[in-house]
Amino acid sequence: MKLLVCIKQILDPEIPVRDFSIDREKLEADSANANQVTNIFCENALETALQLRDSVGESSITVICFGRESAEDSLRKALAMKADEACLVMNDLNHTPDSATTAHVLASAIESLGSFDLIFTGRESGDWGNGQTGAYLAEELKVPYLPFVDDIKQTDKGFEVRRQTESGWERYGIPASSVVTITNSDHNLPRIPKTRDIMMSHRKTITRVSFEDLKIRKDELNPQSDSVRPVKLFVPEKESACEFIEGENLNAKIDQLADKIMEIRSTL
Amino acid sequence: MSETSGNGSDILCVLSSNEWDRSAEGLVGAGRLLSDKTGGKLIAVTLGEWQDSALKQLGARCHQVRVGQTQVSVSGGIESMLDYLVKLAEEIQPASILFGNGTVEEEISPRLAFRLGGSSIGDAQALTISNNRIQVTRSVYGGKATAVMELQKSPAVVWIRSRAFPPAGPLPQSGSFETTVIQETSPESIELLQHHEDASEGVSLEEATMIVSGGRGLGGPEPFEDLKALAATIGAEMAASRAACDAGWVPHSWQVGQTGKKVTPELYLAVAMSGSSQHMMGITDARNIAAVNTDPDAPIFKHCRFGIVEDYRNVIGPLTEKLKSRKK
Amino acid sequence: MNPSDATREVLWNISNSWIMYALLLPTLLIAGNGILLRIKRWKKGRPVDRLDRPLERLQNVWRHAVLQRRTMRNRYAGIFHAFIFWGFITLTLATTVVFLHHDFGWQIMQGRFYLYFQSLFVDLLGLLALIGVGMAAWRRAFLQPRFLVQSSEATWILVLAFIILGTGFLLEGWRIAATDDPWGNWSPVGSLIATFSIHWMSVETMQFFHWGVWWFHLLLVFGFIAWAPYTKMLHPLTATLNIYAANLKPIGASLKTIDFESEESFGINRLDHFTWKDLMDLDACTECGRCTAVCPAATAGKSLSPRDIILDLREKSRISNKRETTFSDPIIGTAPSLSTESLWQCTSCAACVESCPVSIEQFPKIIDMRRFQVMEEAVFPEPMQQALASIESRGHPFSGSRFSRLDWTEGLNIPEIKDRPDAEVLVWTGCGGSLVERNQKSSRALTKILDRAGISYAILGREEKCTGDPARRMGNEFLFQELAKQNIQTFEKYKVKTVVTSCAHCFNTFRNEYPEQGGQFEVFHHSEYLKRLLDQGKLPMKSSSDRKITLHDPCYLSRHNHMTEDARSLLQQTSSQPLIELERNRQNSFCCGGGGGLSFTEEPSEQRVNRQRADEILKTDVDTVAVACPFCTTMLEDGINACKGSRDIKVKELSELILESLETEE
Ligand SMILES: Cc1cc2nc3c(=O)[nH]c(=O)nc-3n(C[C@H](O)[C@H](O)[C@H](O)COP(=O)(O)OP(=O)(O)OC[C@H]3O[C@@H](n4cnc5c(N)ncnc54)[C@H](O)[C@@H]3O)c2cc1C
Ligand code: SF4
Ligand code: SF4
Repeated sequence: MKLLVCIKQILDPEIPVRDFSIDREKLEADSANANQVTNIFCENALETALQLRDSVGESSITVICFGRESAEDSLRKALAMKADEACLVMNDLNHTPDSATTAHVLASAIESLGSFDLIFTGRESGDWGNGQTGAYLAEELKVPYLPFVDDIKQTDKGFEVRRQTESGWERYGIPASSVVTITNSDHNLPRIPKTRDIMMSHRKTITRVSFEDLKIRKDELNPQSDSVRPVKLFVPEKESACEFIEGENLNAKIDQLADKIMEIRSTL
Repeated sequence: MSETSGNGSDILCVLSSNEWDRSAEGLVGAGRLLSDKTGGKLIAVTLGEWQDSALKQLGARCHQVRVGQTQVSVSGGIESMLDYLVKLAEEIQPASILFGNGTVEEEISPRLAFRLGGSSIGDAQALTISNNRIQVTRSVYGGKATAVMELQKSPAVVWIRSRAFPPAGPLPQSGSFETTVIQETSPESIELLQHHEDASEGVSLEEATMIVSGGRGLGGPEPFEDLKALAATIGAEMAASRAACDAGWVPHSWQVGQTGKKVTPELYLAVAMSGSSQHMMGITDARNIAAVNTDPDAPIFKHCRFGIVEDYRNVIGPLTEKLKSRKK
Repeated sequence: MNPSDATREVLWNISNSWIMYALLLPTLLIAGNGILLRIKRWKKGRPVDRLDRPLERLQNVWRHAVLQRRTMRNRYAGIFHAFIFWGFITLTLATTVVFLHHDFGWQIMQGRFYLYFQSLFVDLLGLLALIGVGMAAWRRAFLQPRFLVQSSEATWILVLAFIILGTGFLLEGWRIAATDDPWGNWSPVGSLIATFSIHWMSVETMQFFHWGVWWFHLLLVFGFIAWAPYTKMLHPLTATLNIYAANLKPIGASLKTIDFESEESFGINRLDHFTWKDLMDLDACTECGRCTAVCPAATAGKSLSPRDIILDLREKSRISNKRETTFSDPIIGTAPSLSTESLWQCTSCAACVESCPVSIEQFPKIIDMRRFQVMEEAVFPEPMQQALASIESRGHPFSGSRFSRLDWTEGLNIPEIKDRPDAEVLVWTGCGGSLVERNQKSSRALTKILDRAGISYAILGREEKCTGDPARRMGNEFLFQELAKQNIQTFEKYKVKTVVTSCAHCFNTFRNEYPEQGGQFEVFHHSEYLKRLLDQGKLPMKSSSDRKITLHDPCYLSRHNHMTEDARSLLQQTSSQPLIELERNRQNSFCCGGGGGLSFTEEPSEQRVNRQRADEILKTDVDTVAVACPFCTTMLEDGINACKGSRDIKVKELSELILESLETEE
């Protein structure tokens, strides 16, 4: 079985507010003072794929990333977690393309890599949080799509998956070659790689693919050609002062707390 | 008001929840906001089983209501539903198609945009039109920044935080109704096997006006029982941080935040959670936030209207008792 | 009677003494075999250079094997141990004298030497040994300290020792009485028994009993000699060897460096991956339990017990005499003490190492096994995973911190080294000092002091990365080495010569662990550096408060580096009141609970180490607890706040206190 996991490298979501600044030219976060990390849902996706491989055996996992040079680190980490192959689709554009373009590029790259039994993406990324790449990718590839998946089993017909919904979950049967997006659950926290595997990951080669390789014309990719582009990006002003409840003793404090809660409740 | 249709100025609002609730009101309100600017018609598209009374409310506020009667369940019949929406959009040629917030809406929007050659974005907190293009304001970078995104290709398919938008009042004239039975057009490649609702009494989190939420600081599933008792006394719903859900203490459907539910209660009582920026993203529209936390420097307090620096173990029990007696 | 004629008849009343000599041979063979077996086991270990610097090693033997300084730290046990030890040594010497006198014909057992040494001294020391055995038995039977191992072996050893000593005295008494020894009074215990015996028995009966008890005594002694090498009673030998082979470096430098290029397995999960010294450690253990008694995890009621780790490993190494594979069998998880749960409770405080009378290194073995868990198995507690993952991706362990490395400098004019490349010293703030809000105050205080002293300094700011201390102690040696390389590169880039840090962990890693990674710079803990400034008259400490201060010594200074006095000298300047010492101070300080990665985990409150220390502090009447490490600050503040009730008591970092007495001068 061949599994493909799309991963994305993003600005560390835990970046301290002080280090977070905006590049006004490019209208994206300034990465000078920031670490790049693998998007957590992509790691959940990889972990889900690894667990599927552990349960069925005899499968290979390819990770693919459309990103900058630095994304090699994310791919290495995926290799250390024991993905089999890694492919970096080099983004040397001056802007960060939107989800539709990203999916288009990924789809071309995936087609050039061959066919896969299941394609995974994270449900969304921790930077722009669009949550669309998986859907666009399924459309590009013309394959079935199911988002918010947190559990996958192999069946005769394809796969049985669990999808999280607003109020619970659903189980679906999906055919092979579908695209699923993975969401976090208590059993797909990314595994910690073993040191030997980390060392080995540095000896593996990462396949590099360029726009030319995919016959995509770079000059056609610009903010204007994207379907969605940022026109403004700013750090919102907020932080209101909190009234800390004081009182001579705990009982008095809780009394006040109860009063405040009842006050709000009475306006309903 | 322009009466022409098919010129790319109409607005479609797709309502998949089959109720006239705050979410539907907000969605129609957002639609009106746009249609007033484009001068096009506001057309409501309903999916699923709708009560007449609810349809009447829609009719009063929209120029047209397209009732899509469907036998297949919403999540089970995605392909046919997409086909129906594509056909509808090709017929109406709207400037924008609006959805409310929900996992199905999130799933459909980009796919519909792709099929219509349009553009798509989600989680809109505000909508404007500039240079004839729809612009969407939304939170990005885990809440650290706000972006205004321009949708450059028409139609603009957007799912919105519907409760963040003001409801619209009735139009001078009620809209027309047209009913279509949604046929099974494409074979469904995906088969629904089982549907499960997590045990929850009362309204959904998104609808809740009071929410009691617990974080990692609770240390285990048991303290959530005490929180439940507290919530029950004031008629609140329960929620949790991702840390608490990930630990398996409570179901994932309780998760609030960037990647969980976006809630809009009058009171959000955050117990033993730090208030990470990702969590705060789910409660930016909460009217009042209050917190119980041992750490006076916990970021949650920066967003609170009031708070108490105390171990939750000393607070929850007595607070529940006091609230009980006050209710009497 | 001329004292110079004094002597006694050897082998009085004993015929066929050749049997004794015949028995001596198998006795020595059995004993020798026991010793050889042990040596064979040690040789299965890996090489380590522990025989260099013989003079220092002999000094250690003098201090700890002969004078038994560490044993003496526990009064009761120290005293009875000395009684038994010196008693038996003396008796052995006396027997040797008899042997030389009788079998070699050296004729030394006579005259004043016979009277003063062979009679009086030996008799008294024998008595002390008997008292010692009694005290030991009393402790075992009635005092029963919490961490004593109750084993039948230990009981038998005491019983045997008692009988051997007792029968020895009886033999002496009967001989004196029966031969009417004119010099008998020189052996007080013996002559006492003689006086008694004369009332009870005839000379013939005494002779008869003397004969029987003599052979009984002999058999017991030979039996004991043969058996000892198979019990903890070999420790006089193994302990001496072990003390000779002790780690001569500071405890803070005792973790092994892994060569990732050549090593085939990272960390240790089998006996033969330990060094020979590690294996000798196992045989040197006297089961005294001191290590576990001082272990903060054990006293907090957790399952960790350094002594049991040593004893369980020893148990395994002994089984392996019979089975070939035992030295390569997995060890982690095979005994409660070796459970993964226990291994992750160690705070790396080194109290065990410091307390061990025979120079056993317990906690480095724990780290060795953690390494295996982390690097080979990748299974370890979730909070530690988070901390390590955070170090890996963002260079600090405080996953979720909303601070940047520069937030603490807000409003101050603190130069970064890139803007002041000629700075005299580099102030290393550390993750704890910059990313944990409480410590930002102390970091600011330190820079203000340096400003007042006119020191030209700079910080690294965003270029700082975790030193790797937590990674190393959590078992991720690989990550540690990577971080060390990166930091050393940064230092080289800015040609850093001198580093000052207020973090005891960073300090220890820099001083003791970076040199092996190629770090060539001088590092000072701020207590050390500020003491220098004080001595140079650069710290005008004009006013002093009337704070009642105590000092909590950080493990990584006091034990890992035996640095305890600088902070004290400085603190004395900050208050008019004398410094109050905690019960456990200096090298015997008690951990705050924050080392070894434990400050990133959540524990049930009743098992928290910081609470124990807080309780100890609250027993004194201090109003200020001085600390000298950011981890201690946060751990103790948490512990004190949890336990103090309404009492007004503050945790203050050294720099904060110094700054106070500088500032009031203005
Ligand atoms: C891409 C991405 C998406 C994410 N999405 C979400 C999301 O949707 N929702 C979400 O919640 N998180 C999300 N997170 C995770 C988020 O960053 C935090 O890790 C998480 O919210 C922390 O949960 P917490 O506040 O419960 O725990 P913590 O941050 O550990 O806070 C625990 C709090 O409890 C307090 N406390 C401890 N003991 C007590 C006591 N006895 N009494 C009172 N108070 C006590 C402590 O002071 C502390 O403030 C996301 C992260 C990423 C990277
Ligand atoms: S280092 Fe400290 S915590 Fe660890 S075993 Fe030794 S005494 Fe116990
Ligand atoms: S290891 Fe040392 S301190 Fe611990 S029991 Fe053995 S001899 Fe005593």
